[in-house]
Amino acid sequence: MNYQHQNAACGQWFKFSIFEQMGNIGSEVNRAINWREQSPADSQAATERALELLDLTLADPKNRGPRLKELWRVREVLTDYFYGDNQYGSTDQNWRNYFDAFAWAAALQRKF
Amino acid sequence: MEILTKPILMTELKPLAEKMFGNLVKAVVDVEREMMALDGEFHSDLAELLVENGSAGNNLWGIDIHPEIAGDGWLEFDSMINLKPQLGNRTRGVDDSAIKEKIIRIASKFIKK
Repeated sequence: MNYQHQNAACGQWFKFSIFEQMGNIGSEVNRAINWREQSPADSQAATERALELLDLTLADPKNRGPRLKELWRVREVLTDYFYGDNQYGSTDQNWRNYFDAFAWAAALQRKF
Repeated sequence: MEILTKPILMTELKPLAEKMFGNLVKAVVDVEREMMALDGEFHSDLAELLVENGSAGNNLWGIDIHPEIAGDGWLEFDSMINLKPQLGNRTRGVDDSAIKEKIIRIASKFIKK
């Protein structure tokens, strides 16, 4: 498999907390949104990186259990927004609000 | 990943961008020690590198460098490590214009176009 996040794919990702994982995915979603008009190709690349990290998050053993359902739904709704017809009615701000909460939690936990 | 000790050319960043994310190189700037680390998979990796080198976390700010952009858009303020509730920075960007200017100055010192 051809990952853009090579080290993450080799196990580093599983060391991140769920807050760090989702916060980092949110960073890529943010880039995808920000670059949509200026550079569709860069926006596409960021979307693909977000999905790559989301798939790694789904594969993380510590995320099995009640959390898994939400993660799979995030994947479905995200792909609907960026690749589909947006049948779930997402907005750019919805996505920012959703992922920013995790980034915020990660920041509160950060050691430095 | 490396902590820069001397300036590099923007053209030297293009292969780094292509190798990892295609269009950008991640970097972290220490606005107190005026240092910069770049080419990490995550900004947090670069921040950790600088902290191990003696930086204080509150002085570290994450940016994305776009080697293919000639104008003002070459430097983008967008990183999870920028969320610093203790400093009042509540976004992935950099809200304080003085800190923003410092970051641009330090990054411009190390990255030559």
